[in-house]
Parts: sequence; C-alpha cells; structure tokens
Amino acid sequence: MADQPQQPPAQGAAQPAGPQAAWPPPAERALLGKPIQRLDGPDKAAGRAKYTYDILRPGMLYGRLLDSPHPHARVRSIDLSAAQKLPGVRAVLALKDPAQPETARVRYQGEEVAAVAATTEELAEDAIRLIRVDYEVLPHLATVEEAMRPEAPRVFEKGNVTEPQERADGGDVEAALKSSAHVIEGLYSTQVQTHTSLETHGGLCEWNGDQLTAWVSTQAVHGTREGTARALGIPQSNVRVITQYMGGGFGSKLGGDIQVVICARLAKMANAPVKLMLDRKEEHLVTGNRPSAHARLRAGVDAQGTLTAIDAETWGTGGAGQGAFFPVPYQVYVFPVRRQRHRDVYINAGPQRAFRAPGHPQSCFVTEIVMDELADRLGMDPLELRLRNLPPEADNAQWARYFKMGAERIGWSRRHATGDTAPGPIKRGLGCAANRWGGGGSRRTRGLCEILPDGGVVTRVGTQDIGTGTRTLVAIVTAETMGLPIEAVAAEIGDSNHPYAPGSGGSVTAPSVSSIVRIAAEHARRELFARVAPALGADPSSLVARDGRVYVGGDPSTGMTWKEACKRLGTEPISAPAEWQQGLSSVGTSGVQFADVEVDVETGIARVKKIVCVQDCGMIVDRLTAESQCQGGIIMGLGFALFEHRILDRNTGQMVNPNMEWYLVPGMSDVPEIDLTLVDQPERGVVGIGEPPVISTAAAIGNAVANAIGVRVRSLPITPETVLTALGSARPGGTR
Amino acid sequence: MASRDKDEPGVSRRSFLQTVGAGGVAAGVLGPASAGAQDARAAGPGAVPVQLNINGRVHRLELEPRVTLLDALRTRLEMTGAKRVCDRGSCGACTVLVDGRTAYSCSMLAIEAQGKQIRTVESLTQGTVLHPVQQAFCDRDGLMCGFCTPGFVVSAAALLERTPKPTAAEARAALDGNICRCGTYVRVLEAALNTGGRRG
Repeated sequence: MADQPQQPPAQGAAQPAGPQAAWPPPAERALLGKPIQRLDGPDKAAGRAKYTYDILRPGMLYGRLLDSPHPHARVRSIDLSAAQKLPGVRAVLALKDPAQPETARVRYQGEEVAAVAATTEELAEDAIRLIRVDYEVLPHLATVEEAMRPEAPRVFEKGNVTEPQERADGGDVEAALKSSAHVIEGLYSTQVQTHTSLETHGGLCEWNGDQLTAWVSTQAVHGTREGTARALGIPQSNVRVITQYMGGGFGSKLGGDIQVVICARLAKMANAPVKLMLDRKEEHLVTGNRPSAHARLRAGVDAQGTLTAIDAETWGTGGAGQGAFFPVPYQVYVFPVRRQRHRDVYINAGPQRAFRAPGHPQSCFVTEIVMDELADRLGMDPLELRLRNLPPEADNAQWARYFKMGAERIGWSRRHATGDTAPGPIKRGLGCAANRWGGGGSRRTRGLCEILPDGGVVTRVGTQDIGTGTRTLVAIVTAETMGLPIEAVAAEIGDSNHPYAPGSGGSVTAPSVSSIVRIAAEHARRELFARVAPALGADPSSLVARDGRVYVGGDPSTGMTWKEACKRLGTEPISAPAEWQQGLSSVGTSGVQFADVEVDVETGIARVKKIVCVQDCGMIVDRLTAESQCQGGIIMGLGFALFEHRILDRNTGQMVNPNMEWYLVPGMSDVPEIDLTLVDQPERGVVGIGEPPVISTAAAIGNAVANAIGVRVRSLPITPETVLTALGSARPGGTR
Repeated sequence: MASRDKDEPGVSRRSFLQTVGAGGVAAGVLGPASAGAQDARAAGPGAVPVQLNINGRVHRLELEPRVTLLDALRTRLEMTGAKRVCDRGSCGACTVLVDGRTAYSCSMLAIEAQGKQIRTVESLTQGTVLHPVQQAFCDRDGLMCGFCTPGFVVSAAALLERTPKPTAAEARAALDGNICRCGTYVRVLEAALNTGGRRG
C-alpha cells in the first residue's frame, strides 16, 4: 500500500517523446473489455504451474523454523548442538541472541527463534525438535479488554495503548446530538481476520558467489529485492527475485519477509539452495491479519431523515504492531458534525498487515449498521435514508444510481419492516451497504515493449500475477495495440530484473500496468511504423496495425502482414521503454451490495441466499477476470461476516484455531447466488477493483440479518451463538 | 456418491489407525519376537522400500514410513500438482484418486498407498491436451491464483467419472471438501456442470 496513486508529476520529470498515449475508441477494440480467458489457466488447471512452493533445485535443502510457543518471553539460552550433530542437517541458526536484551525478547506466539536446513523436510523437523530453548515466560496480554485495564502489566515499552488520535469536524458534536430528533448509542465491533493465503509465505534462495536468486511467494518482486538486500546488507543489484506463480497474498505479501531473509542466510551457511515455506500454523500466527475494530458511538438524525452528527470512541488491535485505525463514519454518508477519538491497543499476537481494503470493511460495517438503526428509529426505509444523505454525485461517487439498480435486482420492494413476522423458525431479511476505494495508477510504473524482427512481441513489466489476471492483462493490452491475437504476444512479468512496477496492493496494479503497457506498446508500434512507412509510401502517422496487418488507415489492401512489416527491422529489434503518462487510468470507485439472508431463529444459523453487487470498474480490461475478482471479494466478505475469527486463548495467549478446520473460510456450499453488475465506464480509463468488492458484504449481511430476526447483532462474525444471544436478550419494540 | 469421500476426510487417517490397531493385535497373537521381525521391515524407523503405482507406472522408492503420500509425490517424484495447504485433511488442495476415490494425500502415508492405484492431476492431461474438466475450468475462469485448482480439478473429474450429469447439489457436495481462498466457487461449479460444453 506504499504507493500513493496519481501524484502530480515531479518537477523536471522527463516526458517521453511522441504523442500522448490513449485507449482506442470503444468501437475499435478487438480485445479490451471482452471476456478473455487467462493465459496461465491451462498451466494452473493441469498442475504444471510451478509456484515457489513447487520449485525443486539440484541439491536443494529444506528449511524449517523453531517458533516461540509463548506469546511473551525472554530467551535465556538456545542450545543448537544436538541439532547440529544430526546427520543430514546442513545449517542451524539462532535467531534470538540471549546476550542482547532487546533481540532476546519474544512478543507473540510464533515469533522466529531458530532455523535449520536439512536434506529432507522430515529431518529438518527432527532437527527443530532437538533445539533446546530456555524461555523466561513473561506476563502477556491476549485481549484488548485486558490490555486496556489500568492495572494491566505494561508489556510494551510505549505502553499498551497508544495516545489517542482525535479528529473533529463540522462544529459542536454534543450540541448537534442534543438537537437531533433521534440518537442511537451502541458498541460495535469486528474481529481479527487472518489472510489465510493458500500458499504460505516463504522462498527458495540460491547463491551463486555473492549473487542471490530468490524465488518468493510475494506480491512485490521489487519490494522483496529491496527488503531482502537491506536485511542481508548486500547490494540490491546482487539480488534477483522471481515470482511466476503465487498462491494468494491479499495484502500480506508486500515484501521484505523475514522468512526469505532467514532462508538466504541458511543457504549461505549451507552453501546450497534452501527452500523455506511456513506451515499452516505459522501462516496464521505471524504473517499478518486484519486488525480488530471496536467503536462506542452515538449518532443522530433529524425528524426528516437528515443525518446530524456522529461521535465515536474507537479502538482496535493489530497485535504487537500498530495500524488498527479505521475511520468512523465510513466516508460515504454525510454526517455534518463528526468526532472520532482512536487508540491502538497492543496485545501479544502477530502484527497486523495490509489486508484487502485495509480499514474499510470495519468502517463500513460500523457505519452501515448505524444507518439501518437510525432508519428504524425514524420508521423510514433504510434505502431512503441512505439516498437522502449522500454526497454530490461524481464519476467515482454514484451511489444513488447504484443503490437504485441494486434495489431493483434484489427486489427491495418486497422488503418487510425490521423483524420477519412470517410463521416458523426461518426468517428472511434484506440489507444493503455502500463502498468506496481509491485504486489509481502509480506514476512510478515502468515497462518495456520489444518488437522482434521475426514478428514476435514481448512486453516486460516487473509486476506479478497474484491471481488477479495481471499476466493476461499485459498480453491483452499489448495485443490490442499491435492488432494481433493474444497468443501472438508474450507477457514477461514476475521478475525483479524487469522494469519497476509497484507491489500488487491497493488496487493499483491494473491501472498502473495497463497504462504503462499501452504507453510502451504505442512507442514500439510508432517506431515500427516509422520503419515501414517508406515502403508503403505513406506517412507513418497514417498507418494502423489491425487484424495482423499494417496498412494505411481505412484501406487494408495497401499494407502488408505484421510479419512482413517486422522483417523490415533487419537484425535489430525495437526496444521501447515507457515513462508514465497520466490519462489512461483514474482514481476512485463506488459500489453497493445487497444481501438476502435466511436465519433460523432456533439454531441461530444465518445463510446468505443472494448477494447483489453493483460495482464501478472504470474501463474494464478483461471482463471475465474482472467478474471473478468481484465474486472473490464478495466470498471473502462472506467469510468475514459469518465465519472467520482468530481466537486467542485468554489464559495462554495462544491461538486456538491456527488451522483450516477451526479457522473457517467459506466453502462451496456457503456460497450464495451472486448477481453482478459491473458498470463499465470506458471514458474513465482503468481503475483497480481488487479491494472494493470485499468491503460491503459483511455490512449488507449484518443489516439483512437484523431485518430478518428483528434484533441487531452489532459484532462480527455473526455466528449461531451471537444470533441466539441477541435473540435471547431481545426486548420487544424493535432493534436495540 | 462422490461426496461421501469428502465428507469423510479422515478416511485415510482412519484406515491408518486401523492398520496400526491391527498391527497391535497381530503382535499380541504372534508374540513379540515374530512381530518385531515384521515391524523392522514394515515400520522403520529408517527408510523402507516402498512401491507406488502412480498414474499407471510403478515407482520404487526408499522412504521413511512417516512420509506422506503427498510428500512422496511432491518431493521424491517431483509431481507438484497436488499442494500442501492445511496439512490435515480439511482443504482438499492435496486431493488425489486412490482406487478411484478422492483422498487427501496429506493425510495418507506413502506406505499405506502401496498396492493401490493412485492417480494425480498430472494423469488427466494427454500431452498438451487438457482433460475436459481442466478445459472447462479455463473456459469458465474457475481459477484465480490457481493454488487450489489441481485439487478441485481432481475432485471434479472424480465426480464426473461417477456421475456424468451431476445436479448442482451433487456437484456442490462433491466439491465441498476443497477450499479456495480467492473465491472461485461460482466459476468452479459452472465448470463442473458444463464440462465438455454440456449445459448443466
């Protein structure tokens, strides 16, 4: 998320020669915006695709880590001798130094204490078991409630709770609430969610002298090169990072992972390639999570349904790291007067990391539940309340239009007032929620397009395909520009030796990469036209490349085939680098989701029947993968709503469910009907949609559950237990 | 029904426990000496000869008894289509066919797979031609990062071998033992129901 999209051009930034690149008019597009299968589908479906986890190198060793079982401890001593003596063990490393008070500390379960490399994975595990560590176990904090108690042990140097961060806007919040016709008050919370990437974090490191090649499961080949080189104290030019395939990251793999650094050290020590991939438990414990969120707030509305004010005390925990902030209100609805006071709470658990739309799902859940509660107080349709309190419409703020489209598709007119009065235990309900996201292109992106004398075209960008279809997108834009079929071009990505592209986070990848590929491909094509024009007796600017031919615009009979055109390059390929140009991408999306749920009030089980999603996508590059991306976001949002929950044991501080049978992510039978409307806005250029679809799902489901059962669950996940508890403490007379 | 296999992720574990249990009984009957002699060959602790019939070819390996079928495939035979994700029989990324039934290869020991016909995702492709199920996954975009995909493909292929025209409910049940984190389920279901261009 390091990339701030769309900054103004730096002073003196060289603009490349040649005209401004532009997308072809919609009517002339052969590939852009069409549903196009991903290029690497066959390799993935056949099991041929080699992920970092799959790569085997000659003489390769297997690395394993010894992790702290304690959430807070000081390492008094580490005895590696027995592990070192085990036949087949080639490197053993202590990662904590008992002599240094600071590095001897362990602040969360799973923190790395030692590492080994051995000839087989089984032997590496044996060696780990032979390492003897003496821990001085220290008092730990497993919950925010504990950490916030004044008498809690002070576990973190700067205190367990950060200084409050205050934001106030629009006037006197107390006065505004006092003069409101209705005020609701409550405590809202969301849980810690782990990324649960299927391929765990890790890498395979191989040294050749002082040159390091690292195959890494990462969302950022360049970020990983930089982070790894810095940690090892070696020049970045000595490091090459390769990621051809990677099995999911969702924000947790943005570079500089400690596992890769340890792996490189083991490989150096053993003088052999080493692969070190985390196991499932480690993946849950140490590779990041979405912080918890808690908001104690008051919100008001006037008698006509205009929002007045919101006042929120918020806190959350990113474990042993900071970064739990989430804005209240979510910046969709206009609360004229607002105040928020936020504190981060430290506990002894793995630090948070960026997780698909950091802060947004939490913020959206709290705010959208509040919207429905205010509507109930007013006796107003919650959709009507939303429509009355939206900001002015803009390209990237079209919630009013999308809400109406979504309402139509879910059948909002059949929505009953809060509390399904139908007989029987199964209650039905509808809910909705909005989202927004930035997601513009990064002007630091670079690319290179080559046209070869035999007609080949290769585009190189140092981005990576994390499952979003980036490789395919590079090929689509290149092929579109050259007027060739997609199979005729090569997309080279996933290598830090390619020109710089930002890490795949913040939904910046599609806008950054599509733009730079178009710019590079246009440069290359222009050079080709200049070489071919004399033979055609035409001005280069009059030429077009389409349907595998190069010809004078408007008259296909004038030209030659693409291959004939490229033959005129003789022995010298065209190699066209690209500098960033504004205008091919834009910033900001808006979208809405609706949920239709069924809740069994006897068992407390909520089932989602249908999700309707209306999502602004800017200019769609590949309709097939764009749709998949939205479906995926919704399904992840469903997990956040109903299932996923990192549970820490209060007494031991250990994670109770560091696996996949008790940390539940949605499965096939949990997935509802998904009704997608992607709003294609070709005039806006490319906008990223990796994160927006995940934001609103839980909030829409939360509102639908309350609409079904007549009482409110103000926390996530909405489990049978929380539903039954809410029903059990229900008071007559509507939601509480 | 194919779903049965996946409803019982412990099949292989359970049969492993049964094997161990039976060994214990046998030891009691035969007496310690003869049982010990048998166990020395069958149970290690060092590497023992193991014969695996994989995709119609017999592979002779020397493996420690603790090596799972999945690890034997991945690290000894370089068949890396099956993945290790949860490593305890709950996500299906390691799915293979054992005597025609889907099994979690992470939860089955290689020694236990001897004498059985094992088929992996690698067996489905003929040269470069994809199996109709694999083609359907590509056509319908039933894959994103692709890490879970080989497991899903094997589960779907097993379903279709048994039930060529599954209902949506049958397909869902057969694929419920596989987990995808990118959220490809809608597409995967479409692929399972539309393999070979057939409209499900």
